[in-house]
Amino acid sequence: MNPNINDKDSRKIVDIIQSYAQKHSLWVLAYGTGCGAIEIPPTMTSRYDAERFGITGRPTPRMADVLLITGYLATKTLKRVIRSYEQMQSPKYVIGFGSCTINGGMYWDSYNTIKSLDHYLPVDVYINGCMPRPEAVISGFVKLQEMISNGTANGWEKYRDNLDLYRSQQKEVIKNWQMPDYNW
Amino acid sequence: MNDIKQELLAEQTFADQIQKTFKTAGVRVIRKRRIEVVMRADLIPPYLTHAKNQHNFEHLSHISCVDWLEEGHFELVYILWSYTMEMQLIVKCRIPRHTPQFTSIQNIWEHAGTYEREIHEMYGITFAGNDNLGDFLLEDWEGPPPMRRDFDTVKYSEENFKDRMDARQDAQNVRETITKRSGEDMPDFAKPYSLR
Amino acid sequence: MSFDWIKLLGFIVTPLIASAVGFTYMGLSRKITARVQNRIGPGISQSFIDVVKLYSKKTAINHGLMQHMGPVFAITASITTLLFLPVIKDSIFFANFSFRGDLIFLIYIMVFGQLGMALGAGQTGNPNSAIGVSRGLSQMVGFKVPYVMALVAIMIHAKSTNLQEIIAVQDGFRNWMVFQMPLASLAGLLAYLGYMGYAPFDVPFAPAELASGPPSEFGGKYLALMMTSRSIFTFAKLVLFVDVFFGGASNFIELLIKTFLLYLFALFVGLVNPRFRTEQSIQFWWKWPTAIGALALLLVAWKG
Repeated sequence: MNPNINDKDSRKIVDIIQSYAQKHSLWVLAYGTGCGAIEIPPTMTSRYDAERFGITGRPTPRMADVLLITGYLATKTLKRVIRSYEQMQSPKYVIGFGSCTINGGMYWDSYNTIKSLDHYLPVDVYINGCMPRPEAVISGFVKLQEMISNGTANGWEKYRDNLDLYRSQQKEVIKNWQMPDYNW
Repeated sequence: MNDIKQELLAEQTFADQIQKTFKTAGVRVIRKRRIEVVMRADLIPPYLTHAKNQHNFEHLSHISCVDWLEEGHFELVYILWSYTMEMQLIVKCRIPRHTPQFTSIQNIWEHAGTYEREIHEMYGITFAGNDNLGDFLLEDWEGPPPMRRDFDTVKYSEENFKDRMDARQDAQNVRETITKRSGEDMPDFAKPYSLR
Repeated sequence: MSFDWIKLLGFIVTPLIASAVGFTYMGLSRKITARVQNRIGPGISQSFIDVVKLYSKKTAINHGLMQHMGPVFAITASITTLLFLPVIKDSIFFANFSFRGDLIFLIYIMVFGQLGMALGAGQTGNPNSAIGVSRGLSQMVGFKVPYVMALVAIMIHAKSTNLQEIIAVQDGFRNWMVFQMPLASLAGLLAYLGYMGYAPFDVPFAPAELASGPPSEFGGKYLALMMTSRSIFTFAKLVLFVDVFFGGASNFIELLIKTFLLYLFALFVGLVNPRFRTEQSIQFWWKWPTAIGALALLLVAWKG
């Protein structure tokens, strides 16, 4: 990649405003697949108050910027997650939450649970732990904000450019692919 | 000592009653409010009907299955609860592993069908009389029933799901990084797992 | 009829000011909500940041023609509503299109945006949208009855259907409609709670149960358009109620104070109340506010 693209001086003022706005307004679709969903309410409510950083929950994938995958993903759930991810509007980011999304976690030998999410969706930030505490979740979001402001949170571009690769890897796991190729 | 016997009196009398009616059954009082009955497989539907109608065991809590691989059996466990006697009844039976077939008890309890569906999916036992044994929790499953003990989940997951990195190798890198950063030697117990 | 060129500038400036004020109020409402819930909360500028982000998103959603038109209808209706309101009393610049009979026109045009949104949301085919639309329209049937009754009573009392003349009747603090016509004002303000869409009347937009209702399939620039429309419409509603019940405003500071206090009224009622079901809220409006509005109509008719 051209190193000048991420250089602050060479960017237009519009880009700076855009990335500032994108950085400070992260709307989260918390996909509660596993036990991690229980860590989201304390993160959002009065004790840890993630809304200070502009992080709010959103109910539908169309409105959301961040897909927060909280916990293990069964192959059945993965199908729905991919569908949700493709309905989101770019720029969009994926946060893998908990060790299950990194290497399978405690479901490493399960017959029905994927091990590494990175093969199927482009993950920007991993938050490890089983479960990560709300402090860790917020630090993960802050890390994502840093990545947005210096232009490295480009998982959605990776996904768009390597769609065939990701699709083939997804179809390896999901045997009966009954989805339309385009999801808008 | 006498107190304990007094406590279990109701359970004991009920167990004796079952023993009298069903001579071949093995009845055992596990503890207060919990009785175990081991039956022949063909007696299960009549016995469950009897327990429901005569002893008011109107609630089927669960149907479970145990795979006895070494002995070549599947063990089906029916857990019932009676609201009037306030007692839990555990009814067990064994069916041969090579012909995993059994009778459905959907006509006694309607919701038993769901449990049977799950057992069919996880252990591959077919229940005659239950016509709804399709896909349930697993989607597009092609392998053998996954909860059977001769099914190797580790092998299956290694073959089908890509891992990020070998888990132990991952831990090694962390260990090496830490020792390098702190300028210490690697401890002896960690050396066997070292990459070099 | 002569045409004032300064008015044209007013048409452009008024929606901009309205959206800025609306977004500030939305940001303030989030801050106040956070403080009530013992949180720190986002900054006041959070709504601006959100809407800039939404405008900067790439958007690829296609559910058909009406889905594209829905947000456009909404923003058209909002700007139209605003442009027929005298924002500042006796000001040519902010009087905009105000004409004889504009209050009757406003009663009709204020529905247009919601109907457009209903069509747009219906086209998306999302069941949550359809449920939200049906709930929203039924609630509108509920609160429109006391609202129109209150407005008609005030029109009879002021012997005019022009907002500027209605403002002129309320000259001085004691002559505000709230004090001249307490019953009609009470009915109108209860209907206003329904208009603002805060709890207890927020069942069409229930985010947890309905996935935010009508806008659930809208994202990116569509949502940004809808947020802009909402901010303008919020300001327009506040200005309308201030004009009709609280004697209008002769300068901007007065307008901001009055509208913000009115906004806080809806917000605080929302913060301390749980949610009504649709039929409960309709029952509520068709019982007390309608009775009060009918009484006000009778009184004003009897007095002549």
